[in-house]
Amino acid sequence: MGNPKNNIPHESAALHVSGEAVYVDDILVNEQLLVGRVVYSPHAHARIKSFDLSEAKKVPGVYAVLSYKDIPGHNQMGPVVKDEPCLVENEVNCVGQVVFLIAAETEEQCLEAERKIKAGYEALDPILTIEKAIEKNSLMGPPLKIERGDVNTSLKKAPHLIKGELRTGAQEHWYLESQVSLCIPGEGREMYVYSSTQHPSETQALIAELLGIGKHEVVVEVRRMGGAFGGKETQANHTACWTALLCWATKHPVKIRLFRDDDQIMTGKRHRFLSRYEVGFDDEGHLHVANFELNSDGGCATDLSFAIMQRAMLHVDNAYYVPNLRVVGRVWKTNLPSNTAFRGFGGPQGMALIENVIDRIARLLRKDAAEIRFKNFYGLESNNVTHYGETVENNRLFMIYDQLMKSSEYEKRRNAVNEFNAQNEFFKKGLAITPVKFGISFTTSYLNQAGALVLVYKDGTVLVNHGGTEMGQGLHTKIQQIAAAEFGVSLHRVKVNATNTAVVPNTSATAASAGADLNGMAVKNAIDILKGRIAEAFAHIWTEKYSNTPRQKDGGQASLQHSIMFESDEIYDRDHPDRCIGFAEAIPLLHLRQVPLSAAGFYRTPNIGWDKEKGFGKPFYYYAFGMAITEVLLDVLTGQHTILRTDILHDVGDSLNPNIDIGQVEGGYIQGVGWCTTEEIKWDDKGNLLTHSPDTYKIPSVQDIPKDFRVKLLEGVPNPNTIRQSKAVAEPPLMLSLSCWLAIKDAISAVANREFEPEFSLPATNEVIVLSIEKLKRKIAEKAKLEFIEQ
Amino acid sequence: MQSSISFILDGKITSIDFGKAPEIKPTTTILNYLRSLPTHKGTKEGCAEGDCGACTVVVGELGLDNRINYKSVDSCLVFLPMLHGKHLITVENLKTPSHELHPVQQTMVETSGSQCGYCTPGFIMSLFSLYKNKNKPSREEIDDALTGNLCRCTGYRPIIEAAAKSCVHDRLDDFSNLEPITRNLLQSIPKESLRIHTPQQLYLRPASLGEAITLKHQHPDAILVCGATDVALRVTKQHELLKEIIDLSDVSELKQITESDAELRIGAGAFLSDIMPVVLKPFPALHDMLAVFGSQQIRNLATLGGNLDTASPIGDTLPVLIAYNARVILEGVNGRREFPVEDFITGYRTTRRKADEIITTIVLPKLDGRSWVKAYKVSKRKDLDIATLSGCFRLELDNHSAVKMITLAYGGMAERVKRATKTEQFLLGNPWNREAIENAMPLIDSDFTPISDVRGGAEFRRVAAKNLLLKFWSETNGQS
Ligand SMILES: Cc1cc2nc3c(=O)[nH]c(=O)nc-3n(C[C@H](O)[C@H](O)[C@H](O)COP(=O)(O)OP(=O)(O)OC[C@H]3O[C@@H](n4cnc5c(N)ncnc54)[C@H](O)[C@@H]3O)c2cc1C
Ligand code: FES
Ligand code: FES
Repeated sequence: MGNPKNNIPHESAALHVSGEAVYVDDILVNEQLLVGRVVYSPHAHARIKSFDLSEAKKVPGVYAVLSYKDIPGHNQMGPVVKDEPCLVENEVNCVGQVVFLIAAETEEQCLEAERKIKAGYEALDPILTIEKAIEKNSLMGPPLKIERGDVNTSLKKAPHLIKGELRTGAQEHWYLESQVSLCIPGEGREMYVYSSTQHPSETQALIAELLGIGKHEVVVEVRRMGGAFGGKETQANHTACWTALLCWATKHPVKIRLFRDDDQIMTGKRHRFLSRYEVGFDDEGHLHVANFELNSDGGCATDLSFAIMQRAMLHVDNAYYVPNLRVVGRVWKTNLPSNTAFRGFGGPQGMALIENVIDRIARLLRKDAAEIRFKNFYGLESNNVTHYGETVENNRLFMIYDQLMKSSEYEKRRNAVNEFNAQNEFFKKGLAITPVKFGISFTTSYLNQAGALVLVYKDGTVLVNHGGTEMGQGLHTKIQQIAAAEFGVSLHRVKVNATNTAVVPNTSATAASAGADLNGMAVKNAIDILKGRIAEAFAHIWTEKYSNTPRQKDGGQASLQHSIMFESDEIYDRDHPDRCIGFAEAIPLLHLRQVPLSAAGFYRTPNIGWDKEKGFGKPFYYYAFGMAITEVLLDVLTGQHTILRTDILHDVGDSLNPNIDIGQVEGGYIQGVGWCTTEEIKWDDKGNLLTHSPDTYKIPSVQDIPKDFRVKLLEGVPNPNTIRQSKAVAEPPLMLSLSCWLAIKDAISAVANREFEPEFSLPATNEVIVLSIEKLKRKIAEKAKLEFIEQ
Repeated sequence: MQSSISFILDGKITSIDFGKAPEIKPTTTILNYLRSLPTHKGTKEGCAEGDCGACTVVVGELGLDNRINYKSVDSCLVFLPMLHGKHLITVENLKTPSHELHPVQQTMVETSGSQCGYCTPGFIMSLFSLYKNKNKPSREEIDDALTGNLCRCTGYRPIIEAAAKSCVHDRLDDFSNLEPITRNLLQSIPKESLRIHTPQQLYLRPASLGEAITLKHQHPDAILVCGATDVALRVTKQHELLKEIIDLSDVSELKQITESDAELRIGAGAFLSDIMPVVLKPFPALHDMLAVFGSQQIRNLATLGGNLDTASPIGDTLPVLIAYNARVILEGVNGRREFPVEDFITGYRTTRRKADEIITTIVLPKLDGRSWVKAYKVSKRKDLDIATLSGCFRLELDNHSAVKMITLAYGGMAERVKRATKTEQFLLGNPWNREAIENAMPLIDSDFTPISDVRGGAEFRRVAAKNLLLKFWSETNGQS
């Protein structure tokens, strides 16, 4: 299972378990620290008619009560499109949109001040559903389209044609650490910002613009986040901006930590989708044509909605070759908090659609869905170009399918499930396999870059700085391993520093699963530079020292430089292994010889490019593959289900750290299971979030995981041209959970002996399940009645 | 009467005099207190409502046998005075003085049980509590110990593995070694009732039932708390300032559980976790329901008295108590009153309890062995969730397999926990077969008009309520 040598624990594990790991809320600050509080709109859509902050400002202990008028710079927090004011000026566009800010000595004083704020709103008609947005033509921007082949003709010619609609729900990130930021004023206009953000450079930029100061006056530091999952890619900026504004106004350190309910109410979620399909196929189940229409609820501002829609459109094929395919994506503007990045970034919504279609085709043709999936996989040599023109290289689908079907004993278990279902009325089992093919790279191609700064100190210790952030995914651990391996030194010599915008500038967000790919390469680049300098210096030193014993292979110093190796905490000459010095002993010598012992590294992903307008090109550097088989037991009468067993085989290339990668696969799968089953988000008809705390919003608990959980990494599949032949892992495994979703559907459908297509949506809550079964029962009864009459 | 509290923290006695520490209130939670200290930032807040376990701490308490019992609790739900006379253990306390990790910590490192680490201190404390209470726990015991802790990163598998590997006692941990010292410290704290009076609040913690009854008479408007798993949310979520509080958690009479041939008497203040083993045999349906009640951290605090008095339409124990014909005993200065649970609850969160009364005891008459009782809870997530609907049904058949007696008590179907009387009437005298059940199912619609709310739609409730009847039949059919 990967290289066991790489299986070191998370670099912070010992700190996590002892409670010593420091998160933003744990940083000790002097007694000047003020508590910051946001005051948000209670209306989904309203005009602010007037407000009066004077009474609030009089509350003892209160240092500042701010409105948009107090913003010295640009009142904006939009990451791509500038459509998100930091503080609302005229019109609020969702419940939870922030209008005022308060800083006081205590939380109670903040609450007291909040009660004294007078604000008059004139309520306007809100748009709270995709349907209403469509009715009102409330588009966020022009539709996106990708098309290959002749879709219209193929639809007419297809032997079988199905049409339908699928709804997939929103999902709350539910990072354990809610949004938080601490700002400390420096001298002059300087500001030091601790933020739980995936994108420190953007946080820095937005704060500078908000305050009207230079980016060189703002430092953003991120030691670690208590979970992020995309929820802190753009929306951590908000809390940081509000905190910075209060800090600027009061000249005190200020901290804002969103209360859990406020976090859930205010922040965006995974986009809910309303998707429509028309799909043509033949008797064998080969896909001929698909016409997909994706509609997402963007919420009230653009955020990353278009990039997310795009990724959904780029994953609507999942692992399948569809010769004629058209997909149109529309982002709709509604009066809900702006929806945002979430692990998978549109991929899950796209894949859920085609996986559900294939499941339906199998039922219609009375075949096992596994068979239909297998038949339609992208080929190794032919049928291997996606609808957007990228060739699926290093295709692992068949390899994974074969191994997993065998190791999970799929066929045998399929029969056992059918038998169980024939014998049980009130319990049904379901089984499903689903594949994942996920493209790795930011689809906004220029973002695929990273920087690093590696410092070597005179005691032989190494401090690595890079632009990526640690949110639990183990990035810093992998970087530490990469740096140690590249330098040939033991792990204990290498430390990865907190991410800091003053050290590595202009970084991309740690997102798109690309953290280790990009930053790992940038770190390697810096270390290569340092090793070059060190080798050159030792070539000199050893040439001087051993001038009387010339090197066997001639070529002078230049070739010597190339034969100098870094291994086992030593630097030595490959051709003369006795010419050797310990790494720690070498560094002071280099310092004496005035060799610079720090280097900046950089990396940009080569050979990718993507024309968004044409919907054509090579957006992805490579694909990550995986497959899962899930078996569930369904209580037909209550809709409650248990995952009996899950088998996963996932491709991470040569794993940088098998323990961490397996943790990502397991965690991603379970997070996906939550999205597919119990995580339901509800709003009332005024746009108030009803599921605003863990009391009503249910992420998986320990008892929801598979009773038998078998996760393996695909062996012997190095990924060419990436850092240490590894592959990205973070996002792709989330979509393995679609096997759980479709296993539930399989079990539901068994109630009617797989004769009817069950009504189904995502999440498949017990409510969805019970009502779907109820409808199936009615259909069975109707059919029986008809048959009776016919007789 | 004392106005300050004392407990053990970091190996020594810590005292808080509320009069002298205005930033601390008697309703300050342990979590907020800990986080105000520079040395206890390990304990995290994830929700402030008992649902995530990030704030889990372990509280050690001297038992009757003079041994120290260790229990995991959600520190976001516990008011500081409830700690009086106890040992508070936080994640910072687990390392040995020579900085070695505790076995549960060490194993979590080895199994990669932490990713972002934010949930980890809470898990560590639940694991520590498991370690102190179980040797070689089963998977069920591990799951149960961890249900109150949410992790969004790991998928739990490595944490379960850590539990199985670490909770194997081949040697004493530091806490066992130090137990004599801890016991002496605990015994040195005077066990007296507390009267904490601050300019804004009056917090009373009587140490006997008599005292509690007198206090309730003197302060009829005072809010009673026992486990505070309902009341604390008014403070942490609604930011309410509770003016007068009578805390019953130190009244030993309310914790008593006594069993005779005829009945089981459970003190209104007994913790659900202490009730579970006692009811396993005689009242299995109550056990089943308690097994899916909140989490271990919640059951280590919550009480039957609290669940009854809250009288929520989705209070989990209520349908069960009704099906078992349980009775509630109230006491006040004017004496005792007793009601069947069914009559005690009068409407949406209303009961017959008068302002100066306290619920003291719940009496469960034993069954004669000829009836079946089954409890069902339908919730979005199977564990640590509030019911969308629930039911507890009791059935007795006559010699001809016809229904002699039936109770169908439902939660979540009306403004209060209620029986499906029309359906019951119909079934009485009918044979206990599929046909009768299917004919009875539609009657649920005449018994209840459920509402749609955040937990589920009316249609779902109607269908599921009928299905529960079928489920009950399928589970009792043939056994008669
Ligand atoms: C995370 C979480 C999960 C939960 N899960 C469940 C669940 O699964 N099922 C469920 O039914 N409930 C659940 N609850 C609610 C709560 O735990 C229960 O209602 C519990 O039984 C309350 O007991 P307590 O002792 O903590 O009550 P407290 O909060 O102390 O008191 C609750 C009410 O009862 C009154 N009261 C308490 N004791 C007495 C007494 N002896 N005499 C008179 N009045 C009294 C109080 O004045 C108060 O009004 C949950 C709560 C939380 C926070
Ligand atoms: S903070 Fe979530 S249970 Fe206490
Ligand atoms: S490790 Fe991140 S929530 Fe558990």
